[in-house]
Amino acid sequence: MAIKIEKSFQAPEAAAEVWKILSDPRSVASCVPGAQVTEAVDDRTYKGVIKVKLGPTVTDYKGEAHIERLDDQNRVIEMIGKGQDVRGKGSASMKMTGMVRELPAGGSEVVTISELNVVGILAQMGNRMIQEVANQMFEQFTKNLRQRLQQQASGTAVSGAPEEVKPIDAGSVAASAVLGLFKSKPKE
Amino acid sequence: MLTKTSPEIGGMGHPIKRKEDLRFIQGKGNYIDDVQLPGMVYGQMVRSPYAHARITAIRTEEAKKLPGVLAVITGEDLAKANLAWMPTLFHDKQMVLATGKVLFQSQEVAFVVAEDRYTAADAAELVEVDYEELPVLVDPHKAQDADAPILRDDREEKSNLIFHWEVGDRAATEQQMKSAPVTALVKAFFPRCHPAPLETCGCVIDFNSATGKLTAWITSQAPHAHRTVFALVAGLPEQNIRVISPDIGGGFGNKVPVYPGYVCAAVAALTIGRPVKWIETRSENLQSTGFARDYHMEAELAADKDGRVSALRVKTLADHGAFNAAAQPTKFPAGLFSICTGSYDFSQAFCEVDGVYTNKAPGGIAYRCSFRVTEAAYLIERAMDVLAQELKLDPAELRRRNFIPPEKFPYPSPLGWNYDSGNYQGALDLALEKIGYNELRKEQAEKRKRGELMGIGISSFTEIVGAGPSHTFDILGLKMFDSAELRVHPTGKAIMRMGTKSQGQGHETTYAQIVAQELGIPAADVAIEEGDTDTAPYGLGTYASRSTPTSGAAAALAARKVREKARKIAAHLLEVSEEDLEWEPGKFSVKGAPGKSKTIQEIAFAAYTNFPQGMEPGLEAVHYYDPPNLTFPFGTYIAVVDIDKGTGEVKIRRFVAVDDCGNIINPMIVEGQVHGGLTEGLAIAFMQEISYDESGNVQGGTFMDYLVPTAVETPSWETGNTCTPSPHHPFGAKGVGESPNVGSPAAFVNAVVDALSHLGVKHIDMPLSPWKIWQILKEKGVTQ
Repeated sequence: MAIKIEKSFQAPEAAAEVWKILSDPRSVASCVPGAQVTEAVDDRTYKGVIKVKLGPTVTDYKGEAHIERLDDQNRVIEMIGKGQDVRGKGSASMKMTGMVRELPAGGSEVVTISELNVVGILAQMGNRMIQEVANQMFEQFTKNLRQRLQQQASGTAVSGAPEEVKPIDAGSVAASAVLGLFKSKPKE
Repeated sequence: MLTKTSPEIGGMGHPIKRKEDLRFIQGKGNYIDDVQLPGMVYGQMVRSPYAHARITAIRTEEAKKLPGVLAVITGEDLAKANLAWMPTLFHDKQMVLATGKVLFQSQEVAFVVAEDRYTAADAAELVEVDYEELPVLVDPHKAQDADAPILRDDREEKSNLIFHWEVGDRAATEQQMKSAPVTALVKAFFPRCHPAPLETCGCVIDFNSATGKLTAWITSQAPHAHRTVFALVAGLPEQNIRVISPDIGGGFGNKVPVYPGYVCAAVAALTIGRPVKWIETRSENLQSTGFARDYHMEAELAADKDGRVSALRVKTLADHGAFNAAAQPTKFPAGLFSICTGSYDFSQAFCEVDGVYTNKAPGGIAYRCSFRVTEAAYLIERAMDVLAQELKLDPAELRRRNFIPPEKFPYPSPLGWNYDSGNYQGALDLALEKIGYNELRKEQAEKRKRGELMGIGISSFTEIVGAGPSHTFDILGLKMFDSAELRVHPTGKAIMRMGTKSQGQGHETTYAQIVAQELGIPAADVAIEEGDTDTAPYGLGTYASRSTPTSGAAAALAARKVREKARKIAAHLLEVSEEDLEWEPGKFSVKGAPGKSKTIQEIAFAAYTNFPQGMEPGLEAVHYYDPPNLTFPFGTYIAVVDIDKGTGEVKIRRFVAVDDCGNIINPMIVEGQVHGGLTEGLAIAFMQEISYDESGNVQGGTFMDYLVPTAVETPSWETGNTCTPSPHHPFGAKGVGESPNVGSPAAFVNAVVDALSHLGVKHIDMPLSPWKIWQILKEKGVTQ
C-alpha cells in the first residue's frame, strides 16, 4: 500500500535553528512518536525501532534508515528507511524528503514529502486509516519538534538523547481517523 | 399436476413452518463451537503478512515457553508426515502450512495449540517468522507476461497459467461475428467476493487411541467427501473416520473445500492425544477461505438489425489465487460457465477461459451458485442490455425476440447442454405485468426530461443445477449421485437419512414433505437426519442447488420403494390381489370398495407384526439417485432504481422476482430462499469486493470494509412464480436456492446503467458504490 504524504508547517524560529534538528537523525527520531535510534552504523546509517499501535495490533518495526542526501546549503535532507515487524506482521518502508526554508517575514517553513509503503496486517486497515495514522503521527512529530525548538532556544535541550519509546495512541488514532473521514472532502 | 395432500399430511405445496427453526430461534442449535469435549484444547493459526515471500526462519521457542502451550506445528513438521501439502478439490495441491515460501497474505504458516483459546492467540503472536519479500503478482492480466514472477515453483510447468479451456465452434462463431450487421461488446469484471457465512469455518477433532477412531466435527457441506479425502490424504482406514457436520450457520459454497485448519487440528489431536478445536475468526474466514467469482469477462454478440442474435463469443480470465482450490466437477475447469448462452436460442457460440495463479487467497468456490453460473448469467444478461442499447431497442423486446421457444425443449445448446424445460417468455411476461413495465417506461421518459435519474433493469436468467449425471460429473472421481435411506417405524412414524447436508436450507422440513407426498405419512412424523457419515448413506453433499434434484429425487424413489412393499402388505391384510388396490396419499383401498382400506400406519405396524410368510420383515428402503440430466430453473427479475444526483446513492424502489423452479415442495421456504438470495445479490452488486492493493494486501478482509446488508439496506422483495416442471425429475422439481443470487446482480446493474444510458454509460463494474456512481455523475456533469 503506497501512500504519498506532503506536509508543511511554519515555525517562528530561524531556518538555521530548525535545520540543526532536522539534519540530526537522533533528534528527528526523538520527535517521531514511538521511534528510537538504537545504533549508528556510520554517520549516515542508523538502526532503530518504531512502534505503532492500532486497535489491538501493535507493530514493532525494526530497521534501518539511511541518509541519501544531506544538503546543508539548501537545507534538504533525503532519507530512506525500511523496517520489518519483529513478529512478522509486515514491513514498512519510507522515502522522506525534508526541506527548511526561510520565510520572508521571519521564521521558517518546514516541508516534508513522504512516500510510505506498508505491507502486512497494518495495510489491511486501508489507505484511509493509514493516511490518518500518518497524519496523526505527523502532527505529533510537529508538536514534538516545536517543543524541541523551544527547548533549544531556552537552552534546556539535550541534543539527540533518546527518550522513552511511546507508541502512538490507538484510541486517539481511531477517533481522529473517524473525524478525518468527516472532515476530508472527496477528491475531485 | 401433483396430487395435493391434506394439510395434516403436509405433502408438497404446503407452506408448513420449518421444523428446524424451533431449535434455532431458541438458541438450541448445535454448531461446531457448541461442541465441548472433556480435555479439549484449542488451535490458532499463525498467518503470513506477505503476499509473496520466502520464509528464512521460524522461531517457535518463545511461543512454546508460554504456560499452557502444548505444541507449535510448522510446515517442516508436517513435511515429515508428508502432510505439508494436500490436494485441492480441483486438480491442484495446496500448502497446509507453508514451507519454503508463502503465496498469499494470511496464508497458514504455523499452528499453535494451547489449553485455552486466549493462550493460543497470545502464543501465535510469539511465533517469530523471518520473511524475505518477493515480487508480488496481483493483476491476473500480467500473470502470463514474460517478466511475471513464477508463483508455483513446485509445479513442473514454469508458468502461472493453470488451464486454458474452450468449448463451442470458434471458426463458425467468428464467421458470424464478421458477417453480422451489428455487434455488441461488453467487458465485465465480476469482482472477487466471499460468501461470508454467519458462522465461520471450524472443527473439533478427537482421536481415540484405544479404538483408533477419529471423530471430526467439521463445518462441512460435503461430509462424506471429506471423510474420503481424510482417508486418502492421511492414510487412515475409512471405517475409523467419522465426520459429523452438526448444524451449520450458512455455507454458500464456502464450506465445501477442506481447509488447512482441519488438517492441522487432526494432526494436533493425533500427536497430543486430546481433542482439538479450531474456529476461524471473521477476518481469517474472509482472507483465507474459499472466495468466489474474480472473473474478468468479455462477451460479444452478433445480431441482425432487428436484434436477432446469431452468435456469442466469450473470453474470460479467471483469477484463482495461489492454488486452484475451486470446488467443482472434475471435467469442468470453469465449472458450468458454458451456460453463458443463457435463455437464448443462438445458432453459434464459443467460450474460452484462461485460469491463472496470483498472490491471492486460493479458490474459487461457487458462492450460492452452481459452479460459475452466476458469472455466466451476469455476463449474458449484461451483454443483452448492451446490445439493446446499441440497437435502441427495448431490452424486454430484445429478450423476447431471442428466447428459446417452449416448443424447442429439450433444447440442445450450442455449448453442449441439453436444457430440460423452460418457458422464458412466460416468466418475463408475468414479471413485466407485476412491475407495471409500460407505465414505468413512461415515467422514466418524463423524469429524464426533468433531469431525474431512474432506471429499470431486466434479467431473464437460466440456471443449470443439480449436478449431476455420473457420465459427466464427479469430484475427485466420486460420482455426483446422492442418496436417501428411509425407515418406517412400527407406529407409522419414520426417519430418513440423506447424503446431503443442510446449512439452513430447511431440509428437515422439505425432505419430510417429499415423504409425506409419496407415502401420506404426515411431514411432522418424518424425522430427517443428515451430516453423520457413520449413519447417513453416502452422498456428495449440498451445494450447487443439488439437494432437491438429487437427494430429493432419491427420497421420492426410496418412498416409492416403500410404497411398493406397503402395497404387498396391504394386499395381504385386505386379502385381495395387489392389482385390486388403489393408492391415495396415506392409504390403499380396494377398488370399488372404498370402505375397505388400510392406512400406511396400519401397514407399517403389520410390516413388523403381521407380514406375509416369506416376506422380508420391516419397512425401509435406500435409494442412490444418479440423475439423468441437470435441471434448468429460470426466471425474470426486474429492478427499478432511482439515483440520488447529490450522493450517487442508488435507491432500489422496487424489485420483482419471478422464479420458475418447477414443482414446489414448500412455497414458504422457496420464498425465504429467494429473499435471502436476492439480499446476497444486492450486497454483491452494491457493497462487496475483496480487492488487493499492489503489494497484495487484502482490502476487504474485515466487516469494516466487506459490507453485509442489514434490514436497513434491503428493499422489500416482491416474488412470483411460474411452473414448468422438470420432465426427468421424479416429481418435477428443479431447485431454487441459488437462482436469486444468480439472476439478481444483472438486474441491479442493468437498472443502474439504464438510468445513466442516455448519458452514454454502457457498463459499470460492480460493486456500484455511491462513490463510483458519483464519479460517473461528476464526469457526465449531472451532479447536484
